[in-house]
Amino acid sequence: MPGQNGNSQASSSDVMELWRSWFNETERQLNGFFGEILGDESFARASSGYVDAYSVIQRSLNQSMERYLTTFNLPTHSDITDLGERLSSIEERLASLESTIRAVAEKIEIAPTGTVTKMRPRRTRKPAAKTSGAS
Amino acid sequence: MVTARQPVETIIETAQEEVERTRERIKKGLDVLLARNEPPVGVTPKDVIYQRGTLKLYHYRPMSDEVYRVPIVFVMSLVSKPWILDLTFGQSFVQYLLAQGFDVFMIDWGVPRPEDKKLSFEDYVTDLMPDCFEHVQKATGEEDYSILGYCMGGIFGLMYAGAYPDAPLKNLACAATPVDMEGMGLFRKWTDKRFFDVDHLVDSIGNIPPDMMLRSFEMLRPMDRWGGYIRLLDNLWNEQFVYGFRVMYKWTNEQIPFPGEAYRQFTRDLMWENKLMKGTMTLNGRPVDTKAIKIPVLHAMAEHDHIAPFAATRPLTSIVGSEDTEDVILKGGHVSLVAGKNAMFRFWPRVADWLSQRSL
Repeated sequence: MPGQNGNSQASSSDVMELWRSWFNETERQLNGFFGEILGDESFARASSGYVDAYSVIQRSLNQSMERYLTTFNLPTHSDITDLGERLSSIEERLASLESTIRAVAEKIEIAPTGTVTKMRPRRTRKPAAKTSGAS
Repeated sequence: MVTARQPVETIIETAQEEVERTRERIKKGLDVLLARNEPPVGVTPKDVIYQRGTLKLYHYRPMSDEVYRVPIVFVMSLVSKPWILDLTFGQSFVQYLLAQGFDVFMIDWGVPRPEDKKLSFEDYVTDLMPDCFEHVQKATGEEDYSILGYCMGGIFGLMYAGAYPDAPLKNLACAATPVDMEGMGLFRKWTDKRFFDVDHLVDSIGNIPPDMMLRSFEMLRPMDRWGGYIRLLDNLWNEQFVYGFRVMYKWTNEQIPFPGEAYRQFTRDLMWENKLMKGTMTLNGRPVDTKAIKIPVLHAMAEHDHIAPFAATRPLTSIVGSEDTEDVILKGGHVSLVAGKNAMFRFWPRVADWLSQRSL
């Protein structure tokens, strides 16, 4: 009969829509439920305790690794971090030197080598006029 | 006239459609599982005009030969990668603004390294930001600039404007920027000063690891990750849906470390002491006087923001001294406010229109 398969197709998509509505509502309610639990003071206390314990373990692990690596005459995390700081400091000084050289070059009007002079756009744009509502 | 062939044709069509969808599901499922054919992100062409440490200052290439006089400088959050505002083809707020005729820059703080654990609010607001603005002035030949800050980027923008009220800052636009930390919901509860020892944490581990940041965001709505996977399964045949999902999933999961000192300050000065709201914030002894901010201020907020709740974002324009302020309250969440399909028709045109009147 005509429409029978149409009906089953429509009911199949109805079922899917029903499922999606149910799922969205369930997700919302579960988020609300967990939000209440996670917002409780006891959870805050517990999670802070976890963070404290994590900090202690992490510090202890870091210190142990530093000692072991130093014993084997291998670079430690602190050594690499210090190296990184020194590199950053060198980069900053280079950037400062570059900036000074560029400023001096601009003053004596030498074009910097290896760069293309960019055409700057005109800075004259105005917003589109708003049409009046009155006729 | 009804024929017996019609139901058969309908069955064949339905079957063909299901076969096609199943084929797409398998193909896209494999793409997702194997991370194949990743959507490109941060696609708008740009030049790095300044670098310092991990910081990069981008100048996006103008899309027209006539632009508004006053450039826009995006100030990004420390919490996540900045390409949320330059998401992908056809979904880039940066590209939208360029097409509207704005000259756009972006401060990308980069991914903090272990030695960056010492970076504090003072470094960001009183050192790095002014440095970047000088380079923006050199690049544009204009003294004035506008700041557009998203989330914590808006906090930095507000602090900068309050610490330097005489700076040539023309406009301040913020999006989803929390100022009243008493309204920060679960984040405030979890960092309760009675239990949370921020000094112990920062002194032990330095930068806050990206995994810890990601889990704390996920705990705000624990079902979202699994709900997302189920919706993905339901829509795996839909190319557009899968593309959007993969882009947002990538951004959400690419968390970055939070610099230790900045985290300590965020917790102590903002979460615990609520200094910005109370007007007692200082940076290097310099007061951050938000009432001294007299420039136009726009603040866009999301009604259903679970990360920077409405209660925390609402008071921003009430703590500035400007007479030209505008609150824009839009439907959506923290991310959908600024990125995605909804943002294209709501937040983007509002901000562009507001800035166009004030960038002359």
